[in-house]
Amino acid sequence: MYDVIVRGGLVVDGSGAPGYLGDVAVQDGKIVAVGQITGDALRFVEAEGRIVAPGFIDPHTHFDVQLLWDGAAKPALEHGITCVVPGNCSLSLAPLRAADRQQVIGMFQQIEEMPPAAFTEAFEWTWEDFAGYRAAIEKSLSINVAPLVGHSVIRLWVMGPHAQERAADAGEISAMQDMLRECLDAGAVGLSTSFVDVDENGRPVPSRFAQFEELDALSAVLGEYGRMLQIVPEFYAIDITIARIDQLAELSLKHNIPTTFSPVFDSTATPDNVARTVARVEEQFSRGARVWPQMQTRPIDISFSLLRPSLFFARLPRWVRILRQPLEQRIAALRDPETVAKMVADTGPDGGERMMGRLVVRGGDGAPVELTGRTLSDIAKDRGEVTALALINLSLEHGLDVALLSANAGHEVTDRIGPMLAHPLVHIGASDGGAHLASFSTYGDTGYLFSEFVRKSGALSLEQAVAKLTAETADIWGLKDRGRLEAGKAADIVIFDAATIGRGEERPAFDMPGNGMRYVRAATGIDTVLVNGQVAYAGGQYSEARAGVVCV
Amino acid sequence: MALSLQRRFVTPGPGETVEEIADRALPDQDQGAAVDAIRSWNLHIFAMRRPPGLLLGSDVVFIEPPIG
Ligand SMILES: [Zn+2]
Repeated sequence: MYDVIVRGGLVVDGSGAPGYLGDVAVQDGKIVAVGQITGDALRFVEAEGRIVAPGFIDPHTHFDVQLLWDGAAKPALEHGITCVVPGNCSLSLAPLRAADRQQVIGMFQQIEEMPPAAFTEAFEWTWEDFAGYRAAIEKSLSINVAPLVGHSVIRLWVMGPHAQERAADAGEISAMQDMLRECLDAGAVGLSTSFVDVDENGRPVPSRFAQFEELDALSAVLGEYGRMLQIVPEFYAIDITIARIDQLAELSLKHNIPTTFSPVFDSTATPDNVARTVARVEEQFSRGARVWPQMQTRPIDISFSLLRPSLFFARLPRWVRILRQPLEQRIAALRDPETVAKMVADTGPDGGERMMGRLVVRGGDGAPVELTGRTLSDIAKDRGEVTALALINLSLEHGLDVALLSANAGHEVTDRIGPMLAHPLVHIGASDGGAHLASFSTYGDTGYLFSEFVRKSGALSLEQAVAKLTAETADIWGLKDRGRLEAGKAADIVIFDAATIGRGEERPAFDMPGNGMRYVRAATGIDTVLVNGQVAYAGGQYSEARAGVVCV
Repeated sequence: MALSLQRRFVTPGPGETVEEIADRALPDQDQGAAVDAIRSWNLHIFAMRRPPGLLLGSDVVFIEPPIG
């Protein structure tokens, strides 16, 4: 008697091989047989006319905090994702002393755009070390987690305030190595570092103060475990990105470790960048180095309102300063003609038309319904104002609750992106799941891979797309039990409709602690998701199953 | 496959100044000219960063102009 038999679906097993009609039998959380299965089971999951695939793995997320109150990392799981990698970009929630929490919250807030209430209202902060954090999330996981540990927090643990001031000495480097070892022993899947991020005061994050020798010493520890090094390179400058690829290759070869970097995205303004990046990656792979560029599937869409600071204003420091103020002061500043004149001047001699004219009113908030879908350029003309001023005044008239969408701000040309995603050395990921809550939805990238690049453009076959999200990702990260429908592997299984799998419209949800807002997308075409042999999601509902584990 | 030629760079040592980098990386040049050149090749450090010119141990500091 099996626990579960998934019956009669097209088995796309993750290997990239053509799908075939068959069944999958599950016992004690593991796949025990794949093929034509006779015999009985406690539960049958009917999959006729559906694809049966290994659960998807999302290798770049920031679910560190959310996992403490939501063990499904909603809505990631309903998109077919059965394993997430949090702790990217040098930031994790352990190891972290109680006294340093505020500082790391500040970094999460600045870099990943997470509301402070997420850190104070929804869970009890019981741990300092990595094992303690693992225990805290493991209590109620319904998704699997392969957590990275952040270089910045390890540095902070060892060096305290000096972490953001100077190079480490030999003793400190050795203490960081010991701490990294402790984290890897406690279930970390690797180390993440960042070369670009700054904290909420504009100060570079701790990892950026490290000499290459420090990263080399930490990579030596990763080498003892064969674990991953993830970095955020200076993605805005191709020459620096290539220099980082070379550094990663050196570390990969010397310590025999996999490495990965993200974001990598296409822009028609710099059309050769991805080609140059991939060419360098090919050269380094041919020497035996493993340097995986991680690419997102979705176009860059950024939404924002003047209710909070946003990525959109990255190049307008005065706007960011003003939008960071408490609501009353912010409104006062936006009503002050002198301040507003300076803000408008910052947006250029055209009054922000080039920068903001194509923004579209999203609707569903405080804005008048008749403005939904109209461009700011149009609205400004009607109002007889320059564009940036129209944005400010329109927002003021509606309590700042006017969301605008900057659509297709990069990585949006399907015919260019498809072949990039299909490249054998391009690792699909970089969703940033659980971060940038009020800027865009970080959910639905897997569905979008199928709807846009399998069904619409045909850049990848169904089998290829599944392999990219499952077996290839598991191999890159060394997740030995995951990513394939094969006897002996963990029973992480997604059952979906190849004709309809996709992502829903981006919409605001108010389901974060303290009624915080985030953008989400629902999944389409996903029937059932099993995690370690238990049905975690079916027929549009999450189950009570809590079968997720820390799965490295 | 041999590695194609890419732009050469160094990383700053602990507490190293741009003058010291210039002496180390471009020893045949007059220091002032070398410093000016390094500044102009590394706007990510000397123009875009706050405060401009703050050197970090992890920085990529190019010691030649873009290739091609
Ligand atoms: Zn990230």
